[in-house]
Amino acid sequence: MQLFSHERMWRSHELKSRYDAVIIGAGVHGLATAYYLGKDHGLRDVALLEKSYLGAGNSGRNTAIVRANYRTAEGVAFYDASLKLYEEMSSELGWNVLLNQCGHLTLAHTDSAINGLRVRAETNRFLGVDSRIIGPDEIHKLVPTLDLSRRPRYPILAALYHPPGGIIRHDAVVWGYARACDRMGIEIHPFTEAVGIRMDGQSVSGVVTNRGEISTRVVANCTAGWASKVCQMVRVPLPIVTYPLQACVTEPLKPFLDKVIVSATLHVYVNQTDRGELVIGAEIDPYQSYSMKSTLPTLEQMATYTLELFPQLHGVKVLRQWAGICDMTPDFAPIISGVESLKGFYLDVGWGTYGFKAGPIAGRCLASLIATGETPKLIAPFSLSRFRQDRLVGEKAAAAVSH
Amino acid sequence: MAHPVDPSPPGHPGGASEGVCPITIFFDGKPISAQPGDTVASALYRCGVRIFSRSFKYHRPRGLLCGSGHCPNCLMTVDGIPNVRTCITRVHDGQKVRHQNATPSLENDWLSVSGFFSWLMPVGFYYKTFTHPLVWRGVEPLIRKVAGLGEVSPEPAADAGSESHPEHGSTGAGPAYAHIFWHTEVAVVGGGPAGLLAALQAARSGGRVVLIDDQPELGGHLRFQGKGRHSGEWVMPDGQDLSGLSGPDLARKMAEQVVKEPRIRVLQDSTCFGLYEGRLLGVLQKLAGGQRTANGSPSAGHSQALERLIYLRTQRLVVATGAYEALPLFENNDLPGVMLRSAAQRLAHLHGVQPGKRAVIVSEQADGGPVAADLKVAGVEIEAVIPRRELVSALGRKHIKGIRTTRGDLACDLLVLEGDRVPDAGLIAQAGGSLRWEEGQRAFLPGEMPPFVTVVGEAAGIQPNPEAPLPGPCSKKTFVCVCEDVTVKDLCDAVQEGFDHIQTLKRYSTVTMGPCQGRMCQLSSIAVCARQTGRAMEQTGTTTSRPPTLPISLGSLAGPRHHPVRRTPLHPCHEALGCTWMDMGDWKRPHHYPAPAAEPGASGHGATPAHTSTSHSHHLPTFVEAEYRAVRERVGIIDVSTLGRLDVRGKDAPKLLDKVYTNRLSDMKLGRVRHAALCDEAGILLDDGTVSRLAEDHYFITTSTGNIEFVQQWLEWWMAGAGWCVHVTNVTGGLAAVNVAGPKARETLAGLTGTSLETAAFPYMNCRQADVGGVPCLMLRIGFVGETGWELHFPAEYGEYLWDLVMKEGQPFGIGAFGVETQRLLRLEKKHVIVGVDTDATSNPMDADMAWVAKLDKEDFIGKAAILRFQARLATGQSERLVGFVMEDDSVPLDGSAVVHGGRPAGRVTSCRFSPSIGRGIGLAWIPSALAHAGRHFSIHVNGQLGQARVTFQPFYDPEGKRLRM
Ligand SMILES: Cc1cc2nc3c(=O)[nH]c(=O)nc-3n(C[C@H](O)[C@H](O)[C@H](O)COP(=O)(O)OP(=O)(O)OC[C@H]3O[C@@H](n4cnc5c(N)ncnc54)[C@H](O)[C@@H]3O)c2cc1C
Ligand code: FES
Repeated sequence: MQLFSHERMWRSHELKSRYDAVIIGAGVHGLATAYYLGKDHGLRDVALLEKSYLGAGNSGRNTAIVRANYRTAEGVAFYDASLKLYEEMSSELGWNVLLNQCGHLTLAHTDSAINGLRVRAETNRFLGVDSRIIGPDEIHKLVPTLDLSRRPRYPILAALYHPPGGIIRHDAVVWGYARACDRMGIEIHPFTEAVGIRMDGQSVSGVVTNRGEISTRVVANCTAGWASKVCQMVRVPLPIVTYPLQACVTEPLKPFLDKVIVSATLHVYVNQTDRGELVIGAEIDPYQSYSMKSTLPTLEQMATYTLELFPQLHGVKVLRQWAGICDMTPDFAPIISGVESLKGFYLDVGWGTYGFKAGPIAGRCLASLIATGETPKLIAPFSLSRFRQDRLVGEKAAAAVSH
Repeated sequence: MAHPVDPSPPGHPGGASEGVCPITIFFDGKPISAQPGDTVASALYRCGVRIFSRSFKYHRPRGLLCGSGHCPNCLMTVDGIPNVRTCITRVHDGQKVRHQNATPSLENDWLSVSGFFSWLMPVGFYYKTFTHPLVWRGVEPLIRKVAGLGEVSPEPAADAGSESHPEHGSTGAGPAYAHIFWHTEVAVVGGGPAGLLAALQAARSGGRVVLIDDQPELGGHLRFQGKGRHSGEWVMPDGQDLSGLSGPDLARKMAEQVVKEPRIRVLQDSTCFGLYEGRLLGVLQKLAGGQRTANGSPSAGHSQALERLIYLRTQRLVVATGAYEALPLFENNDLPGVMLRSAAQRLAHLHGVQPGKRAVIVSEQADGGPVAADLKVAGVEIEAVIPRRELVSALGRKHIKGIRTTRGDLACDLLVLEGDRVPDAGLIAQAGGSLRWEEGQRAFLPGEMPPFVTVVGEAAGIQPNPEAPLPGPCSKKTFVCVCEDVTVKDLCDAVQEGFDHIQTLKRYSTVTMGPCQGRMCQLSSIAVCARQTGRAMEQTGTTTSRPPTLPISLGSLAGPRHHPVRRTPLHPCHEALGCTWMDMGDWKRPHHYPAPAAEPGASGHGATPAHTSTSHSHHLPTFVEAEYRAVRERVGIIDVSTLGRLDVRGKDAPKLLDKVYTNRLSDMKLGRVRHAALCDEAGILLDDGTVSRLAEDHYFITTSTGNIEFVQQWLEWWMAGAGWCVHVTNVTGGLAAVNVAGPKARETLAGLTGTSLETAAFPYMNCRQADVGGVPCLMLRIGFVGETGWELHFPAEYGEYLWDLVMKEGQPFGIGAFGVETQRLLRLEKKHVIVGVDTDATSNPMDADMAWVAKLDKEDFIGKAAILRFQARLATGQSERLVGFVMEDDSVPLDGSAVVHGGRPAGRVTSCRFSPSIGRGIGLAWIPSALAHAGRHFSIHVNGQLGQARVTFQPFYDPEGKRLRM
């Protein structure tokens, strides 16, 4: 019985001198890409390089909100497909990723915010995603602890309710994928940093790491906050800037909130984990940085706005705060594609503040692109070339604070 | 346990508890008497309470362990606040204390059965079970229900920080939480002997010092030591020799010196919880006399805050945080009655409470060291003193009854442990300092420090910890982490499963992630990890120390919450008219005014738009109707003071504006006004407004309401480094503004100014500096609403005066004030796009049908290259276009409704209203450019059905714009 077996989740390996494919970054995106390369395409001679421990990047720092209620048709179809993969993940991997589809509410405090939510509700409905605008009475029934009075500076007027949205245990996803990759023979190399990428004319030919050199014809960059640094190695400029994003968690409380609450006006979102802690997140820091240090003003802001929503939490204590660094694109949509000028080099980046929920589908699509050379329809809108062609995707309104 | 109230032990050495006036607190509703100086825990302990909490996972009974706020064992709900560390919370009369996480009581907790099944819940239990989604969906709510510790009221009332709370706003009593900002030359964290000395030395050498200590009195560990002579040499910076005094006397003497020193500011009861970038310390101070009422606000008569958050910037930092004790590993090490030395000493010395009757002391000193003497004085019988390596397990179920040693069993009701000393290095790690394992002391000590940090006292080095064998890998009842019920076996299993790096081990087993922030478990979890992996302590390393080093309440962090409300200089005028307000960013703006009395019941006070309804009514609300008629038929006035205003001067101003705005602005004649738009490098529309040229080197710019700060920064960004002579000044706050528009606007204003308003003298899209009713105004003749009209910008202090004057002057012409809702309708009839409402972060001027704002023959400007590409793309028909539309039926879609094409969403309505002049719903929508041809039909989703709309590129009202120019 798995429960009492203490089999290793993933084994350690010596680095080989060549692989069919090398994936840089073992967050959810790198792992999912490897997993689907192995599972869907039988490509198992794959090395995943991670410069730190597994999940050291944003995949171990995010607030793990999953949902599909995006704004553009492209976005909705894509994130919905990801959510479906998450729904099947526990049984597929034989490993519980603690998905809790408790429901997700995006609050509106102004008329214009309501209109923005209506755009999303309309698109969602046409694409079969359950999401609708509800008024204060229904909000109260769903979240009795929320302050719906006129007291707050910006009283709550309405919300976009998305029942299938919820939270997941991010680390469990990372470990579950890692174990499944290991079982297929894919090698996971923690503490292995890619420090250079070798090119042979217009193609990639290898990766230089702190543990030695590897030759390979396929390299995927799945390094989120470090994406632009890795692209520098091959002189592929990215329209990405990196900003820190912070979050904090409180001491465990008895059940208080069983929905995910997001307020873009207040730049804050809150949910309660199965352990009872409240997880509180903020909007991105106001300046670009690669620093993962958290700040006091942002903590103050998270506290302030949480109390606008739930004033009764004033005595509840914050245990920890932290930051991750987010790779932001101009249109708040990702980049999943090859690069015209460099054969064998693939990108799955630009995940900003919202990419955890997209891991499975992004990985599956990228794997398919790598293995078949065909771009799956779902990721066609997310190519790097869209920036040169001025085809932005327009998810800013739905992705900004809402993760 | 209905314990009788224990009398204080005879002749206890405590100093603080000798007061008289009795205090009563309520524990689970039962009155309990306490003494001044008591903590909640000491009062409860004195009355016989031994179980203070139930553990997180297995609901095991837990008693006082550290007595110094470093563990999770004494958490209770105090005055409605959950998870309060009762051992460091002082009592006050009437205090309400409730136990947590146990039903029905701490003594008998039904869920403690989960402890018997703990073998069933190995590490990673949840990940490995319930993998079927349906099963998990059933189980998850049950798990949720039993998780968590304290409870908070579900009622969203009871806010202690908010200024708008009626309890605070009117009574003058301040909110419970305050924030303050200080800076200093030296900050010393820790008020033990090392910190006191460091503060004195720093002050002597001339620096201003802030000394931060979390205790009610200075002296650190000296305070709760016995009366015996304190070892060591103690010579003060002024030469005074204090060697030979007892601990408490030494503390008192040193504290006296510190308090006398004018350059030292002492913060007692203050915790430094974080060191942030820029040498910013977060300090939380509990203020004296602070007592809470049940809702957390200060009790009557207390106007000051209870807690104060200090943002302290310092040049230098002295870390004198000392060391704390961590729980050693042995079986049943979590039983109530197992106590760290610090807890026993504090109970005995500070509170005069006898910690037990019969104690075993675990100490490397054969006589048990000072604590043995202390306990004896407190009347505790010492059963034995044993070294750590002989201790095997604690015996007992709900309380310790004895211990098993390598040499046999001993009976006792108290086990006092000399725990492992752990230098308190949280701040050091946050400062960017490294920690290194020091085998000699068996501790992680500060290594390399940033130059502004000094570490002194026990934080820098300790008496060596004893070497004791680690329990075997199967120890199921040896708790490494008391917060999360993580045992030695759990850790060993996790390492075996591959979680062999301290960071992954932490995340998988949850060790160090509980309320103690790793204080009890960090060292021992590293030791277990090191042993299991065969790595050295040094290699195994520590987990990251993240702020806050102690849990800090959301209320303290938020402070007195000021949510600014911006009011225009004309605010009182609108109030007098009884308008209905709306929020626009920080601003309050009149949404509408009550309809004229002739049509009663339409005032719509407090009326907010129908958010969740599915379509607009196809009649205008009466209030809009009346305001609309005033503007279209007579004259209307609206407060536009919320528009951003920039004053741009300097000889290079034309260059700057030509570079940043898409229009050409350098060739404007003096006295002309232009509509102008800003795009980013990708050609995305950022803002629009008007630009007026007042002099060769002087422009006046308006921006949309929410964008002023952004536009100002944008201009400054693009002039940075250019070496240009330009000054950009935000003058928004200094100016009021109104727009007076309508067929009678000229007559209305003509009576107030000598400046000719005739079109010949003052044509459309011109501006004049004019005197209106004695007020210096900048008049812009522009026409957002589609009628002849002037926008008047004038000094804010004349706001009400000029408004009243215009209203009086306009009365004969039937002037009416109009609000935002009517303005939106009026501009929609003119098909004016509002950037940010009708456009979003992907819209460019070409697709938004605003090609006229971009002067593509201009040299270069921000976004030009992209806009050229957008222009080329227009012809290909591969984009979305913003078009006007008229409904073909009676429906009026709501803003945000979907445009549907081929059964799929293909666009969206950005603005839509019923137009009185057309008699139909009109609006703006983004649609596929294939459909964007005048006269073409498309469908809009309205109320579950598809409404038909017809594309138009013309304004709906006065398409030639004749009325503007009249
Ligand atoms: C505070 C916070 C909250 C968030 N909340 C949510 C949320 O609620 N929902 C959601 O969907 N998303 C959320 N996100 C975003 C989400 O976490 C990320 O988008 C997602 O985890 C990205 O996954 P990834 O695998 O691409 O990157 P990561 O998990 O960051 O993985 C990248 C990895 O690459 C490694 N790496 C970098 N450079 C190199 C190199 N040269 N060699 C080898 N390895 C390298 C890094 O160490 C890292 O482990 C949040 C992010 C943060 C910071
Ligand atoms: S006993 Fe109170 S925190 Fe340890």
